[in-house]
Amino acid sequence: MSVKSYLKPQSVTDALIMAKTHANYLYFAGGTDIQVYLKQQLIKPDHIIDLSDIGELQNIASNDENISIGSMTTLDAISKNNSIYKDFPLIVEAAQSIGTPVIRKTATVGGNILVNNRCNFYNQSFGWRQAIGSCLRDVGDLCQVTKTSGKCFSRNVSDLAAALFCLDAKVIISNQNEGLELSIVDLYNQDGIDFHKHLDHDGILTKIILPIDAGSTWFKKLRIRNTLDFSSLTIAAKVYDNRNFRIGLNGVSMSPVLITGNLDMIDLEGIKSLARKSCKTVDNDMMPLKYRREMIDVYLDQWWVSIQK
Amino acid sequence: MSGPIGKRTPYIEAVQKVTGQAQFAEDFHFSNMLYVKFLRSPHTHAKIQNINLSKAKKLAGVCAISIGRDLPIPFGVLPISPDETAMAVNKVRYIGEIVAAVAAESEKIAHEACSLIEVDYEPIRDFLEPDDSLIDCSPDEQIHSHSKNGTNVHKVAELYFNDPKKAIQNSDISCTRTFKFAGVTHGFTEPHATVAQWNDDETLKVITATQVPHYLQKYLSKVLEIPLHKIRVIKPVVGGGFGGKSDPFPHEIITSYLSIKTHRPVKCVFTREEVFISNHGRHPTKMTLSVGADKQGKITGLDTDIVIDGGSYGSFGVVTSYYNGVLLQGPYRINEFGFTTTRTYTNKPQCGAMRGHGAVNPRYAMEVIIDELSHSLKMDPCDFREKNFLPANTLTVGQLRITSNGVLDCLKAVREKSAWDERYGNMPDGRGLGIACGFFISGSALPINWNRYPQTVVHTKLDFDGRVVIFSGASDIGQGSDTMLVQITAEELGITMDRVQVEVADTKLTPVDLGSYSSRVTFMVGNAAKSSSIKLRDELIKTISKEKNIKPESIQFENNRIFTEDKSLNMSWDEGVEICLAGRGSIVTMGYYISPQLGGKFKGSGAGLSPSYSFGAFISEVSVDKKTGAVKVEKVWGAHDCGKALNPLAVEGQIEGSIHMGLGQAISEELVYENGQFLNSNFIDYKIPSTLDTPDMDVTIIESDDKEGPYGAKEAGEGPIHPVLPAIGNAIFDAVRVRMYELPITPDKVLRAIKEKI
Amino acid sequence: MIKVTLNINDFDRTLLVEPDENLLYTLRERLLLTGTKKGCDQASCGTCTVLMDKKPILSCITPTLRCEGKSIHTIESVAKNGKLHPIQDQLVKHGGLQCGFCTPGFVMTSIEFLEENKNPTESEIKEALSGNLCRCTGYKKIIEAVKAASEDMK
Ligand SMILES: Cc1cc2nc3c(=O)[nH]c(=O)nc-3n(C[C@H](O)[C@H](O)[C@H](O)COP(=O)(O)OP(=O)(O)OC[C@H]3O[C@@H](n4cnc5c(N)ncnc54)[C@H](O)[C@@H]3O)c2cc1C
Ligand code: SF4
Ligand code: FES
Ligand code: FES
Repeated sequence: MSVKSYLKPQSVTDALIMAKTHANYLYFAGGTDIQVYLKQQLIKPDHIIDLSDIGELQNIASNDENISIGSMTTLDAISKNNSIYKDFPLIVEAAQSIGTPVIRKTATVGGNILVNNRCNFYNQSFGWRQAIGSCLRDVGDLCQVTKTSGKCFSRNVSDLAAALFCLDAKVIISNQNEGLELSIVDLYNQDGIDFHKHLDHDGILTKIILPIDAGSTWFKKLRIRNTLDFSSLTIAAKVYDNRNFRIGLNGVSMSPVLITGNLDMIDLEGIKSLARKSCKTVDNDMMPLKYRREMIDVYLDQWWVSIQK
Repeated sequence: MSGPIGKRTPYIEAVQKVTGQAQFAEDFHFSNMLYVKFLRSPHTHAKIQNINLSKAKKLAGVCAISIGRDLPIPFGVLPISPDETAMAVNKVRYIGEIVAAVAAESEKIAHEACSLIEVDYEPIRDFLEPDDSLIDCSPDEQIHSHSKNGTNVHKVAELYFNDPKKAIQNSDISCTRTFKFAGVTHGFTEPHATVAQWNDDETLKVITATQVPHYLQKYLSKVLEIPLHKIRVIKPVVGGGFGGKSDPFPHEIITSYLSIKTHRPVKCVFTREEVFISNHGRHPTKMTLSVGADKQGKITGLDTDIVIDGGSYGSFGVVTSYYNGVLLQGPYRINEFGFTTTRTYTNKPQCGAMRGHGAVNPRYAMEVIIDELSHSLKMDPCDFREKNFLPANTLTVGQLRITSNGVLDCLKAVREKSAWDERYGNMPDGRGLGIACGFFISGSALPINWNRYPQTVVHTKLDFDGRVVIFSGASDIGQGSDTMLVQITAEELGITMDRVQVEVADTKLTPVDLGSYSSRVTFMVGNAAKSSSIKLRDELIKTISKEKNIKPESIQFENNRIFTEDKSLNMSWDEGVEICLAGRGSIVTMGYYISPQLGGKFKGSGAGLSPSYSFGAFISEVSVDKKTGAVKVEKVWGAHDCGKALNPLAVEGQIEGSIHMGLGQAISEELVYENGQFLNSNFIDYKIPSTLDTPDMDVTIIESDDKEGPYGAKEAGEGPIHPVLPAIGNAIFDAVRVRMYELPITPDKVLRAIKEKI
Repeated sequence: MIKVTLNINDFDRTLLVEPDENLLYTLRERLLLTGTKKGCDQASCGTCTVLMDKKPILSCITPTLRCEGKSIHTIESVAKNGKLHPIQDQLVKHGGLQCGFCTPGFVMTSIEFLEENKNPTESEIKEALSGNLCRCTGYKKIIEAVKAASEDMK
């Protein structure tokens, strides 16, 4: 049950070496997500690799074409960064919708992008899970939502991911084989258990690269309180000058969902129907399923109205 | 008044609290201390066939393990329903019930040992909904064998005065609605914690987060079979209660037992999830309420049928059942009146008392129906209410004795401050105002355990150092009762508050007080403290007048001085003390409070009796997003009649806290059950409003000067919550013309209602 | 167990801790600095807030070993030689506390906020305190106290 070592690499290379030599490790960024999983015994690592001392992961750099954000930058820091604020108000808005002001001083961009999927029946204490007979994602053999054994529908809740999807962000991953650059969209799997891709070989998310590109953005997050709550639905949208649009939805499926197109080629109803088709929303959030589905339409309506101006 | 009474007075312990010095139960550390963890049931309803402790016992660091059979004597806060044992004996009745307890050298070991205990269960049919509990079942399926007529009904409380059904039928108009209320819980920030220490002299000391040290002492004695005089319960600083720490709890008894067994101090601290599981919160409720009125807007009758979901044990449930009905007798005159409340047992964590005990949900229903009736009559809802208010000094139909009554002033205050008359009904679509009134007891006139003692006793000690120490069993849980005691004593003795200290809520040192519940402390303990300090002052007067040969009536006390108008006597407090104590040393005076004889002679007449009642009127302003159904409460104007605000700062705090808590139940808080366990036993999913969700508040204190309350005071801690919820519900109607019959009013429900209307 | 030196309230302390131990536990159980409270142990109430290098953090989710080389300040260090910090003083005066369990968390969160923001508006105060739950006060008097403290600090 207990962790054997707490490692503090000073560089990405260090971290990768540690990962290689320590089986069953856990990368630990801000820890604001993963700590609760540890406490609830949802994960039981033997070693914790704390990435917070790695200076190279905390830089924000910009040139004319893009801004690159180190994965260990805190959500608070990106909200206060002038160039991000100027070119990517959407990112600031999304970041400020996460957790609480104090949590955001610890929580990182990378951690949010890789935040663990959630489900009412899974994010519970050990005793609670035992009483329902656990579930597919844990040690059981049924999904408690669908009562079937096929698939897990836990929700991706990263608010930043929704925003980054519509900004067409790239992510850089370092791993034992050098590393790779990919579209953020490729980081996710429509799977409630294996929800991230390309992080094998001890992959560390190191950077997020945002292309600077004009356009108008829109963001809305569904929750009961104006703080603390995880998203029940997050929609971020961007319309480019050429009337291309990108919409990122999250909180309503196993991964963030991207809808793209051109406003001259598709109407609101078409977009809504695409959204409906792409989201595998099930009843595993505190807000009722029907309502969350309805809100996808309502939010898209509101976005639509906003871009008519 | 020349002293601190009526002045805005920061709490005497406030500095301790802002510096982190205040010690809560969890902050006590003793050398050689053990830690307890509990094994809890994974079943809603099951027979315990076998418990195997052998593996757990072998774990290094485990010092003692106990199970239900060790503590089989039943208890319960009400002597009429002692249906609970410290741990499950023979069967479990809800998921989370304690089955075994381990005391070990560390929390971690105790926790691990719990996971090594093997229990064989045989599940029994469970009853999760009150509707299931109402129907017959076989005796071995019953949750408790004492339930009525082969069902799982715990209590049926009913009272009928005259013929309300007929009166409503014959009324010009009437309104009948069915309401549903989700369960909610106290949500105090300090989790339950207890430290128990068995001493060499065979006495037990228990430091615990409780609102009721006296009841705990009583039930520790009963279950542990130790005489009362060997038990010392100490209430340290307590991090909120709201009724959730007003029962004797299993963990307190078990921790004590393990300390006795191991002869070592033992500590128990709940996780936040365990706090939720313990619950004792407001009952999930379904009720149908009918109210009739005549064309002039006079209420002609009220009849209601209520089912409350009690969970697995009794707790305060019998009282809750009555309060659901009887407290609808105010603030309006209703002569044809009746209710039936059925409390069911279900296989879920138990419900109990929570701020506004029993009366919050029915109040919502009543005030919403009044709103509907006034709309049918095209009458302003404020005018309608005004027409029906009870006067001061009257009896209700069930013989509740109303004395001071400031409800009309409350209504006038909020009506004016909110600019109701100009704005109500005239606001833009999506924005609205709503009004509601409230009524609550100021202390229960009957003690829970019938006996010949007063409801509270206060001792006031004076010694050579000029310090006055108040000894009282009163339990300050954040409401400010310690400060109130000091204010009263300083006021009566004409000394500054720094000369007065308290020794409180320690069953070894302090005389009995029944506890902090039913809004009784200011009224009862305040009166006792006042009479005790007056006796002390009389002692000073007697001795000084004799020594100085001055007429007793002419002696005055102010600003740490004792003097006469003409200054023929003019001495310091300390000089007076020396005269008073000469030849005998320290003296102690005592004061007590016994409630007057009240009430009728019928069965159930005791329910809701109080020496005084508080009143209130609140208006709220909301905006509703018609597309999403989201409700934002923009502002709440609250006026509460507390008789006299001994400490306006504290009274405002109680009203503001009530607005916050009422808001939570109205629009966001809800205990969601999933097969008998809570889906949301944490602060992320149980949605207590944050700073950003809490509206502007405008608080007005109305002072109706109660003739029996200390300086005219009555309660302010619970009454203010009642009007908050219906004021919000009614404002939503004004904003979007839909009636909300189900709480909490979450956006999905509002949206559904809006869509159904179109 | 691992040996670690922590600078807590401007004083170095060397002690043994578990690899997965959190600062809240170290403070309360090993150092008996019990002013920092455990309201939820799940990052959702704010009662455990302390300062790390002057920034508020939730000690219930902060690994103790992460704190090596950083300076930690707890509620016990805020009043200096018996003199209350303006926010403490104003909380007392405004009645911005009842049971007091949430109070240390509010104080610690406010301290940094007031340093960063000399002229806070009411809505900025509400935002800054939005991760601290208080069940007693309805927040009103806490918000007033923070406002008043900002005046005092000018
Ligand atoms: C009260 C509360 C409210 C919250 N509200 C929200 C919310 O509204 N929206 C939301 O999205 N989240 C929310 N969270 C979750 C969490 O705080 C945020 O998602 C946060 O951004 C996570 O960042 P972190 O640095 O703390 O991640 P961590 O917890 O450190 O890590 C999260 C996951 O990512 C992995 N990881 C982190 N960084 C890297 C990296 N560089 N390379 C590889 N793997 C990595 C970790 O191994 C872990 O599995 C909330 C949490 C709490 C406690
Ligand atoms: S969706 Fe089903 S399988 Fe996945 S976490 Fe939830 S209950 Fe478990
Ligand atoms: S105890 Fe850390 S946030 Fe609640
Ligand atoms: S004062 Fe009690 S929780 Fe804030």
